[in-house]
Amino acid sequence: MHTLTLAAAFLAFSSAFLVYALSYDTRLIEAKVQAAERAADRARSDIAILRAERAHLSRPERIEPLARALGLAPATDRQFVSSRAQNALADAAR
Amino acid sequence: MLILAKPRSANDAPVVRSKPTRAPVRPQPEPARHTQSGLVVLTLGGLFLAVAAQLVRLTLTAQVPLTAAMVEPVAISYSRPDIVDRNGRLLATDVEVHSLYADPAKVLDVDEALEKLSAVLPDLDSSELHKALSDRDRRFAWVRRGLTPRYAQAVHDLGLPGFAFRKELRRAYPLGSLAGHILGRVDADNKGLAGIERHIDDTVGIDPVHAARPSEKPPVRLSLDIGAQAALEAELADAMQRHTAPAAAALVMDAATGEIVAAASLPRVDPARAGDALDAVKKDRLQGGTYELGSIFKMMTVAMALDRGQVTPQTLIDVRTPLKAGRFEIADLHALGRPLTVTEVFLHSSNVGAGMLALDAGTSVQRAFLARLGLLSAMKTEAGPVAAPQIPTRWDRTETITISYGHGLAVAPIQFIAAAAALVNGGVVPSPTYLRAKTKPQLDAAGPTLSPVISNETTAAMRTLMRSNVTEASGTGKRAEVAGYEIGGKTGTADIPGPRGYRQGGVISSFLAAFPMSAPRYVALVMLFEPKPSADSGGKVLAGVTAAPVAGRLIARIGPLLAP
Repeated sequence: MHTLTLAAAFLAFSSAFLVYALSYDTRLIEAKVQAAERAADRARSDIAILRAERAHLSRPERIEPLARALGLAPATDRQFVSSRAQNALADAAR
Repeated sequence: MLILAKPRSANDAPVVRSKPTRAPVRPQPEPARHTQSGLVVLTLGGLFLAVAAQLVRLTLTAQVPLTAAMVEPVAISYSRPDIVDRNGRLLATDVEVHSLYADPAKVLDVDEALEKLSAVLPDLDSSELHKALSDRDRRFAWVRRGLTPRYAQAVHDLGLPGFAFRKELRRAYPLGSLAGHILGRVDADNKGLAGIERHIDDTVGIDPVHAARPSEKPPVRLSLDIGAQAALEAELADAMQRHTAPAAAALVMDAATGEIVAAASLPRVDPARAGDALDAVKKDRLQGGTYELGSIFKMMTVAMALDRGQVTPQTLIDVRTPLKAGRFEIADLHALGRPLTVTEVFLHSSNVGAGMLALDAGTSVQRAFLARLGLLSAMKTEAGPVAAPQIPTRWDRTETITISYGHGLAVAPIQFIAAAAALVNGGVVPSPTYLRAKTKPQLDAAGPTLSPVISNETTAAMRTLMRSNVTEASGTGKRAEVAGYEIGGKTGTADIPGPRGYRQGGVISSFLAAFPMSAPRYVALVMLFEPKPSADSGGKVLAGVTAAPVAGRLIARIGPLLAP
């Protein structure tokens, strides 16, 4: 009878300790998860802003003068080659 | 307690304890036990009754004052999917911004706080804010939404008690005003108000968010090509300057699918500026207004005459005598003084010839033909409803003649280009769309394609006519020619109606083009509103010297971009 009481008391105390340790761990992990989620949110927001910035920097209004300054221009019909002419060129090269 | 009632005296030996001796003791505790349990039952019963009574009261009196303590509007905003062009380039996205709010109950000194805030945010409405912050019952008031990180930091550095930030989403348009009319705009809560943004709210849907979390929905893919769109807007701006026109518009559409590759109405609107959309000068002229389009309408008249087998391109028409229509007399601008073939009527843009073709067909036939091309019914695109066509209340002989050359019936340009596409693509009227069309298998699975409204022969004849209008020396569209693209088209110089009859001087000059003419893939429409005569156009405002060259330059520039 006495042993049973003692064993039960020991069990109760040890499980209480275990539960406490578990809940402590859980809280720690939860904090980590939250930190990770916050980091992911921040990263997501940064990505959105960087994507918008890239689009803004590559907008045609900005690129066009830069490209023209480098001597580039829209393609003209003189730059197109018909497939027949292409074949002829290939034949001549052979 | 009762169990503990043991024999009182230790002397009471078990042997002595007999029934008769205990009998007088036993009945003693019984009444006490009864009273106590009765009390408990009574108390519990009373409590249950009270709960039941309260339940009944609540059920019967329905007007329970449910005071949710939400006196202030909940600060809610929406996350929206991105908008990208046909190649996946970004046109609109959500970015995180800092919105400043105050808890009036915690603001210590309203005047001091406002003074400090105004130093950082000079355009703050102080009087309005003073009123909101002085109300101690309030727990929430927006001060300024959508602050950039730099301003947010400056406000934060003031260290004002009772002020704090919320992270919110705000729509950003990284390309500025590019395609502004099509994109539309959103309100302060990121809800769509107009254009594609509104369309997204209605179809794809937006998600309410309390934090600044970007949408996880896939981006909405438009049919526009940013490169072609920028080139088109640049060419239009150049044309407006060249011809001192206050406004211009152009549109390039896939002739078969109705996908709009580039479209703009200048002056442009900035989707990020709310006031722009209310400016009448900046209205969307492609689908927000109807215009009498003038001679480009002769395409319809000639196609109608050819389609019903009334004439062939070689049929001679006597256009020497001006047509009488009511009080008016219709004559040609450059009368040749000889009968013209149908081809020549088209090339010289003869009003008399078009009028005679329409009269020959009759009013009802003309009306039915235009209706089949969808020119008489309201239309809708993803960017919003298209201005409904202005159909004359009386449609008799006079109207039949005037409509044959594009006056008396006003339609939105986007609606006209869809009808014009049918004349060259084999007779199917496409529905113009700003969204990337589904892939071919998806389209095939969607059901039977629309039945053509005109015959293949008519399409072939129209293609030849439009091509010769650009290649022939006598054609009005010859200044649109660009080597390599087989451009075909029709010019139109329309008078603008004023309060009393047509205005003097002001015209809408337009050019409807299709290319390549042997198997048209794209149709394009260029419109210049009230161009002024200039040395560049030989002192004239006719479409042949204003809109046609613009169309040529436009196609030469975007052609290489449209190559598959």
